[in-house]
Formats: sequence, structure tokens, C-alpha cells
Amino acid sequence: MTEPLAWTEAGAIAPGGRQSRPTVINLAPGLGAAHGGLRLVLELDGDAVERADPHIGFAHRGTEKLVEQKTWLQALAYFDRLDQAAPISQAHAFVLAVERLAGIVPPPRGQALRVLFAELGRIANHLLAVTGAARDLGAITPCAWAHAARETLMGFCERVSGARLATGYLRPGGVMRDLPPGLAEQILADLGRLAAVIDDIDALVTENRVFKQRTVDVAVVTAGQALDWGLTGPVLRASGVAWDLRKAQPYDAYGGIAFDVPVGQTGDCYARTLVRIEEMRQSLRIVRQCLDTLPDGPVAVDDRTVTPPPRDELDGSIEAMIDHVRHYTAGLHVPAGETYVAVEAPKGEFGVYLVADGTGRPYRCRIRSPGFAHLQALNMMVAGHLVADTVAAVGSLDLSVAEIDR
Amino acid sequence: MSDDSLNELGDHIAWSPVRADVITAEVCGGALMLTVQAAAIARVLTLLRDDPRCLFEMLVDLTAVDRPARNRRFAVVYHLLSVRVGQRVRVVLEVDEETPVPTVTGVFSSAGWYEREVWDMFGIVFADHPDLRRLLTEPGFDGHPLRRDFPLSGFVEVRYDGESRAVVHEPITLAQQLRTFEVDSPWAGPAGGGG
Repeated sequence: MTEPLAWTEAGAIAPGGRQSRPTVINLAPGLGAAHGGLRLVLELDGDAVERADPHIGFAHRGTEKLVEQKTWLQALAYFDRLDQAAPISQAHAFVLAVERLAGIVPPPRGQALRVLFAELGRIANHLLAVTGAARDLGAITPCAWAHAARETLMGFCERVSGARLATGYLRPGGVMRDLPPGLAEQILADLGRLAAVIDDIDALVTENRVFKQRTVDVAVVTAGQALDWGLTGPVLRASGVAWDLRKAQPYDAYGGIAFDVPVGQTGDCYARTLVRIEEMRQSLRIVRQCLDTLPDGPVAVDDRTVTPPPRDELDGSIEAMIDHVRHYTAGLHVPAGETYVAVEAPKGEFGVYLVADGTGRPYRCRIRSPGFAHLQALNMMVAGHLVADTVAAVGSLDLSVAEIDR
Repeated sequence: MSDDSLNELGDHIAWSPVRADVITAEVCGGALMLTVQAAAIARVLTLLRDDPRCLFEMLVDLTAVDRPARNRRFAVVYHLLSVRVGQRVRVVLEVDEETPVPTVTGVFSSAGWYEREVWDMFGIVFADHPDLRRLLTEPGFDGHPLRRDFPLSGFVEVRYDGESRAVVHEPITLAQQLRTFEVDSPWAGPAGGGG
């Protein structure tokens, strides 16, 4: 009598013990844990992932193509819309790239304000990243608390620029306008409350037994793998590589600010969460320093070929009106050249490679988003893990599909 | 990073085993830029990764620039980063539409998706790439959108047709032609070429 075939849901297991074919499932675009329009095609052997093949492009808007058709100032608007969690850092990279090509150096107060809002954006991003990863694993409460705290941060953006998310606050030559009266005091007053929220989330998440069971030793990335796969930001630092562009290649006011770079040791999902939580505390330190040592003076270069004239000059001066119209139609002049500028965005290295040909539009604008490299490495991270671990890994990478697809 | 140390690095590479493959090594705008022979790209990147003076162990970005007026219209651009030394280098090669570029997935794993994207967006073929599928556009998409001769509006529009109860692809019709405004900056000097 021959032995009957063993059957699994995936199909028959041949007498040699090998399964005839892997099960293929879609961790589909509709799943909340997929963080937007991301489709993960998983090939499974039972509950183990043999291969993860992310399909991207659902949110591809052709940003790089569109930017080629815009003036330098219009192009800026696209960068606020790349990453819903931390728009300031994206605009920061573009503005720095334009400034490097055009040889513009913003005044100290403008630089400090950029750093201030970049760090507030980092806190907002990490609040979502940490608690989003926890939410994917079943913890709802921290996510609600994080959104409440993020509301405070978005309120600051609204008061300084008029917009909560797509602020357009950073401009070539500096920032759009100075802090309104009372905002600096308000931010300083709220820092203590934010620190308390971060402590609460830390307590809820990092010592949570379920969270640790789901993340410790899951999706481990060694330092060598992280470099080979182009991983940056908290993911790289969690693998033990102390590399932070704010320290290594300082831009704007970061050179004069004291802060520490947290580095993980284990390179697993848990280490990434720990790194992000500590980074939020360091960002609070930076915000406090920016406000305590905020230099006086203008917030943008006083050059009519770069920045528009102040609003109150328009009523009395025809020259100011001409400059105003020229600024918002043709915009600033960027000489021919090419440059790659990267900033330490909350999710990793966000880079802009600009090619200018001396006309009023960028000839080519390449957007290097950190999540693109992180998602590419997902297969390396989760092959051999369980399906449930894939969800933990995706959560720990802090992906923004809008930024990956561009 | 100072220009001096970049010049030194450029000289070092110009005297390294890949000197025959490097066409130019120049420092411009605070960055070291190498122009290399297309066929030798994998060899050059391997040296840049392993040489103890270079140690560029991360391929940060890989993209292309299309200049249709040129004989070899595409420039493929590699951005490398050394975390240990804290330096960056830009490696550029030029190819025409037909010639495939050797893949560098064997040197840097991160090149996989970057090369897929460049194939998708520019139509540059990477020889021996393990998985050269389109990445950002949908399956069956025709053309390469980031080429300069690809119109901004594209060629087809996609909509759900209620009568046939299916998604249909049709040639695009624009109610109003796309307008391109003259935006050359009034502040461009004589050297800038603007009006």
C-alpha cells in the first residue's frame, strides 16, 4: 500500500517531502498595514515567506517629469507633497540644491528657522512611525496619542505658514516669513508636554511584551547588508552604523548645534523603534537650542533677484511691484550646472539631483527617496520569516508610498 | 569635504588599475565627478567600493539624464557614498539608445530597483540584470516617460466605461492644448542666456 499524499492548503506535498508549488498571496493595497498603495506579492511555503516582491507605482504621479515643466519656485510645491508625514525635509533638500547651484547663502536666522521646523517635522514623523509600527501589531492607543501630539506640531506649521501640511515655508534664500509674535514662546511652552507624550509612548510600546515578541530579532539587517542595499536613516543606524548627515555633512545651522546620534546594536525591528524614540528626544533638544539661540536679523536674503519684496512696499513702489510679478512668474535665475544635495530626512537620506541648463526651468530633477531603497531590501529582510513578521518589518521601515512612487 | 582632498582622490583614481576606463576626473561644485567608459562601469564601481583609499560602500542613487541632441543621448549617473570616509563621488557614463549598459547589481544590491526604474523611465537596457521588469508604470505601458520627447500628457487615457463595464484605454484628447510659457528669468545675465 502506498502512502497517501499529504495535502496542505497550498497543494500536495510530493513523496519527496517537497511542496509542489508555493502559495502566492497579495498583501494587497487595501490592507491598512500596507501603509498606502503598496502591493506585496508574497510567495509562501506554509506560513513562511519564500519571496516578497513589492509592486509599487500605484501612487506614481510623475513628479520628476512635472518638475521639468515648472519654474524653480513652482517646482518647490511638489516637494511638500512627497511625504505626508514630514513635508519640510523634502522641501529642505530641494531648496538647498537650488541654493548650491545659484550660490545663495541664507542668513543665520533663516537657517535656524529651517532647522527648527525640520526637527519639529522629524518629531511628527517619528510619532507616526513608532506608533504606526505598533498599530500594525495590534496596539491602537499609542497611535491615537501620537496623532493628538502631532496636531500640536501641525498647529505650529499653520501659525507660521498658514498651512498645516504642505507649508511651502522653506524658500530659496531663506524662509517665507518670520515667526509670528508669541509662537517661539508657545513652542517652548509645549516642549515639556511633547516630551511627556514621547515618554508615555515609550513606556507603552518599548516594554510591551507583545510588541517585543513581535519585533525582537525580527528582520535583522547587518551593517554590511544595510550599506549594500543603500539603507539610510534610522534603519542604517539601528544596524550599528553611526551615520547622520546632520553630523557628518552638516547643512544650514546644524553645524553649531549639540545633539547625539542614537545608534542601535541589533539591527532588528525593535532597534529601529528604539532609535526613533531617542531621535525624538534629541530633536526636542535641537528645537530648544534653536529657540534659545535664535539669531536676530532677516529670515531670507535681501536680494530682489532671489526673494520677493516685502508686501508693504508693493503699495508705494512700482519697482517693487515689477519685482514681485517677475518673482512669481519667471522666478529666480539658476545658472547651468549639476549638483546632488542630500538631507537627513526623518525616514533616511533624501536627495535631490538637479541638472540646470541656465533656463527658467530645471532640466532634470531626480528625487532620491529613502523608502525606495528600504522597500527594495524587504525581500532580503523577510525571506524565511513568517507572514506576520512581514507586517512587523514593513512597519519598522517607516515607508511613505507617495515618496517611493513619486 | 575640501576640494583638495577630492582632487587627491581624483588623482588616486586616475593612477589606479582602472585608469584606462576613466575618461575624466574633475572636481566641480564641491563634488568629485568621474566620467567612465560604459563597458567598464562594474569594474570601476568595484574598485571604488574596495580600494582602501575610496571605500565607497554604498550606492546611494542611480539615475539617468536624457539629452536628445547629443550623439549618445543618455547619461547614466551613479552616486556613491563612503560612510567611513564621509565622501561622495558621482560616476557618469554616456550611452545611446541601443547600447545596453552592464548591470552593477553584482557590485551593489541596491542597484536592482534603480536599474529597473531607469529602464522603465528612460528605456536604457541593463545587460545581465536578473529581473528587468518595469517598476513604476503599469504592465503593458508603452514608452518611457522621462525621455524628453515623451509628452507630458502621455499618449493614452484610461477610464472606466460604464456601458461595456470595463476599463478602456483611448488616445488622449485635450480640451485645451498644453501651453508652455516663456519663463526665462529676467535676472539671467548675458552668460546665463536668458532674456
